[in-house]
Amino acid sequence: MVHFLQACMNGLLTGALYALIGMGLALIFGVMRIVNFAHGSFLMVGMYVSYLLFERLKINPYYGFIAAGIFLFGFGYLVYKLLIQPIRDRSDFMQILMTTGIALILVDTAQLTFGADYHQTNIDLVNRAVHFGPFTLNAASLLSFGIATVFIVGLREFVVRSRTGQALRAIAQNRDVAPLMGINVTRIQGFSFALGIAFAGIAGGLLLPALYLFPSVGEDYTLKAFVIVVLGGMGSIEGAAMGGLVLGVAESLTSTYIGNQWALAIDFVLFLLMLSLKPSGIFGRQRA
Amino acid sequence: MKELRGAKLWITIGLVALSCLPALVVENNYLLQVCFRIALFAALGLAWNLVGGYAGQLSLGHVAFFGLGAYGLAILASHSVPVPIAVLIASLLATLVAALIGKIVFRLRGPYFTLATIACGEVLRLTATNLNITGGAIGLTVPTVFTGPMFWKLYYLSAVALAAGCFLVNFWTANSRFGYYLMAIREDEDTASAVGVDTANYKLRSLLLSAFLTAMAGALYGSAFQYIVPDNILTIDISVQMAIIAMLGGAGTLLGPIVGAILLLGASETFKTQFQESHLLIYGILIVLVVLFLPEGIVGGIEQLLRSRRKAAKPPAPTPNQSPAISAVEKGN
Repeated sequence: MVHFLQACMNGLLTGALYALIGMGLALIFGVMRIVNFAHGSFLMVGMYVSYLLFERLKINPYYGFIAAGIFLFGFGYLVYKLLIQPIRDRSDFMQILMTTGIALILVDTAQLTFGADYHQTNIDLVNRAVHFGPFTLNAASLLSFGIATVFIVGLREFVVRSRTGQALRAIAQNRDVAPLMGINVTRIQGFSFALGIAFAGIAGGLLLPALYLFPSVGEDYTLKAFVIVVLGGMGSIEGAAMGGLVLGVAESLTSTYIGNQWALAIDFVLFLLMLSLKPSGIFGRQRA
Repeated sequence: MKELRGAKLWITIGLVALSCLPALVVENNYLLQVCFRIALFAALGLAWNLVGGYAGQLSLGHVAFFGLGAYGLAILASHSVPVPIAVLIASLLATLVAALIGKIVFRLRGPYFTLATIACGEVLRLTATNLNITGGAIGLTVPTVFTGPMFWKLYYLSAVALAAGCFLVNFWTANSRFGYYLMAIREDEDTASAVGVDTANYKLRSLLLSAFLTAMAGALYGSAFQYIVPDNILTIDISVQMAIIAMLGGAGTLLGPIVGAILLLGASETFKTQFQESHLLIYGILIVLVVLFLPEGIVGGIEQLLRSRRKAAKPPAPTPNQSPAISAVEKGN
């Protein structure tokens, strides 16, 4: 039982970061209906930003992630203006191709600039553990969890309470009527895209201490992000947060009881099962 | 129309004859290997074209069939099954798996379909990495068919033969009822289904055909390079390449995938020294440009240009109400 609970707790710690990634994609894909196949690549860019700050300026990744988020917000907005906005009314087919192209460019540019070597940030927090009762938790993951929680709650409050958040939900509800109510759809869409990318960047910065960094590190996260959004139900920011936690726990249990190498497979299995059995998501309401 | 088709067939035969030329002229083994890869990827692009081009279903999981072909050949041949029979069994096996995969993924549409195909490919990669029979991450050796100084020439010619076979299947599709149904599905699935096209059935059939051809290409690829590892033969990069090749040349056109393969592999070969490991960068830039400026692809774009010019030259013939399916048929030719 202790074993099981320990696995669940580890899963929740990872899951909070997944929640960040998933909420970012939920904004872009769920709410704005832009199919972003480059989500994981933006996360990778965030990791590199945070890594460069650590390497060159000795800035701790637990501060660096803020810079990564801000940088990715600007970068995401630029990408939206240059590449996404011209094709946003075209078919999913074209959006998928475009964002796949963006992902290839990002990954291979990183490879060209920084090489294919693995990098690591050695901060001592990663090797420290926190004990309470029979459980042991990694101190770095615990800190990431705390920071991620703040951002998760922050984003939710923003979407529910702020004026921009209201406009955002209005567009999600009815894209045709929203502009008639005086909402600037292009501006809001660009902002949501940038914000979603910024969340990927923040998650990247927070993941950095726990992972090895290499150009294609983000690839798995693109699929994970879509799995999370599907788990939580399309268009639901809160659902994506829950979906992230569920995925984290599912992966942790799989690697504990079946084997580490199958943790990734559970993502896909969960995804295929979810889409075949309950496409509206575990927590999702069916949307019209 | 019949004469036009005949002319097209002659052009095709000329193309095949022309593509045999490098085997006679080129003596450099490296160059021959490049030609082999171009022919092989033209075959792959054409195979993908059936599902992605004519039926309009953006699959990024075709590497599953490619890998099944290569792994099937390797495993069967190690149990002393003769190579040609092994290739056939492996390809049929891939078709069987395609039927299974199709049952799952064709219930989905748009991004979900694409994601589900990616997931299928990745599940296969993880399985191959973790099973003993597939040699795990270390991989397997694949038997060669040809040996000696003619090695790459013969492989190149086999790839051309395969590409020609794929081309014929595409040619048949473009001019058959089956193909018209697929194009109707691409243009508007709901309408197609409303006028009585069994959409699920036809999409599945196109996938089966495509999977069989893709698996043959996989077996050929594995046997030419003699060694397969999951990260090499089951990587999503191959699926993406197949899609880009078809899209760049023009998805749903006959010559598109061939043009795409020549251009894409040619470009990545040319810039190889500059970009080294990052050869996919050129792919990324090309897709972004194609999506922004040439959504119909190169061949598709040229055809569109010719069509609009023909229309301008001739007063519009009295066409009985153009349905999307009919305009799709025209696009296909």
